[in-house]
Amino acid sequence: MARRVAVVAGGHSKFGKRFDATVRELSAEAFKPIVDEGITQDKIDASILSYAASQFSGQGAGSALIADYIGLQNRPHMRVESACTTGTASLRAAWGMVAAGLYDVMLVLGVEQMNRVSSAMATEYMSQAGDMRWEYPFGISFPAFYALMASRYMSEYGMTHDTLAKIAVKSHHYGAQNPKAHLPKEITFEEANNAVAICSPLNLYDCSLITDGAAAVVIASEDRVKEFTDRPMWIKGIGAGASEMMIQDRASLTSIPGAKYAANAAYKMAGVEPKDIKMAQVHDCFTIAELIAYEDLGFAEPGKGPELVENKENYHDGRIPVNCDGGLKSKGHPLGATGVSMTYEVMKQMRGEAENSSRQIDDVDLGLVHNVGQSGQFVNVFIFERGW
Amino acid sequence: MSEHKELYLGYSTDKAVTPFFQDFLEALEQEKLMKSKCTSCGAEYLPPRQHCQKCLSECTLTEMTEKEAKLYSYVVVEFAPMSLSSKQPYVVAIGEFPSGLRLTAHITNLMAMPEVGMPLRLGFEAKEKMVTYKWLV
Ligand SMILES: [Zn+2]
Repeated sequence: MARRVAVVAGGHSKFGKRFDATVRELSAEAFKPIVDEGITQDKIDASILSYAASQFSGQGAGSALIADYIGLQNRPHMRVESACTTGTASLRAAWGMVAAGLYDVMLVLGVEQMNRVSSAMATEYMSQAGDMRWEYPFGISFPAFYALMASRYMSEYGMTHDTLAKIAVKSHHYGAQNPKAHLPKEITFEEANNAVAICSPLNLYDCSLITDGAAAVVIASEDRVKEFTDRPMWIKGIGAGASEMMIQDRASLTSIPGAKYAANAAYKMAGVEPKDIKMAQVHDCFTIAELIAYEDLGFAEPGKGPELVENKENYHDGRIPVNCDGGLKSKGHPLGATGVSMTYEVMKQMRGEAENSSRQIDDVDLGLVHNVGQSGQFVNVFIFERGW
Repeated sequence: MSEHKELYLGYSTDKAVTPFFQDFLEALEQEKLMKSKCTSCGAEYLPPRQHCQKCLSECTLTEMTEKEAKLYSYVVVEFAPMSLSSKQPYVVAIGEFPSGLRLTAHITNLMAMPEVGMPLRLGFEAKEKMVTYKWLV
């Protein structure tokens, strides 16, 4: 029987265009609050230090550099990579090692430095995660994959861009209240509906940001948790899934098959249902992705996501608060850090430590993280339980 | 064919070329779009795969006889990856043939916004070092 594992601490760098830092400094910034809390390097048995793409920073074998820079000499470390799910894939791998008894205490740190290249070059690198033989030659950028889903969703369910604009407005409403956010500013419905086109039907405000940043959590086995905190966040359910490599090969473009698969597995392992979840951090790399997530996670029936948006059920005081930290949209999306940042935010909400009451979700005993890589080729879903 | 053609502008096929893919490109120059068929279980693939996804047996290239399709989904790329910046904006479409096989390519002759479900037909284009298939409305 696997040992129970809890998240016991976390740290988070400022997200943004960080020309004052590279992967090493960002990593230190995310790890420092953990050390300050007393979980010093000597207490960490092993670590997973991950980033999604070395092209952005130019640093190869970066976990070695990061481990050394943040003072984890001699302790085993490695990098796990799976596009935008790099952070939760790292957490999933670390969970396995701790649950199995190989280590008791592990650091999981995700980081990405993306702004040292132009937006067009960043778009280029990300488009190379499409099929290099059959998709990349046609210039299908990361937003283009999600625009293909949006066009299809609009056609099948008669949704208009208004729904997507409302999701963007919500993200920015909460991002504006998050001091770590990359773009902490409110936007209006009109701005969200009329922004410059990027990949129609998606515009600028439908897209997440190209962000530099890092986030870290420490996990510990059940017998060691008390040494670190009296407020552990138990990892109660883990599900993972995958979808077809080429987006044209999917039976449906109004759902991400791997996300449904991952969600079902996570709910089953946790022994809970969608209605039990008090908050969710979903992978809103694009507004359409957040909408589809509501349905894939069982918060809305297929095609009914727009009603959830219309009724503001996704706000902090609604039926299922989603991304009340600004999400990838306003907080930012440093690829490898994102899944760890989502986990950090659930812990923060559970502990009632959101910066102000207008983004604090009430009484979170179960929180969910939904982290998607590329256009669904990787998916991790975590369910966390309050341990106090 | 001694020199490798590119499947589309902005793309070097150097890392993708195999004898199987080379045959696909040479057929494309003759305005033939090839799908592949598994020699063991008969499964068909578009774009073609050299190995069957089900039984991993070898596939052979065979010509697509279907030329008409319907638009399954589309995107207008206004902000392109660097390699295709000079071509923006362009429209990427997934077309679905009556057999259910699908193909992702540009629509190159649109006069108005595309609509899901609209008819498409298969076309070809070749210039100097580039050869490709495309959708026409
Ligand atoms: Zn076969």
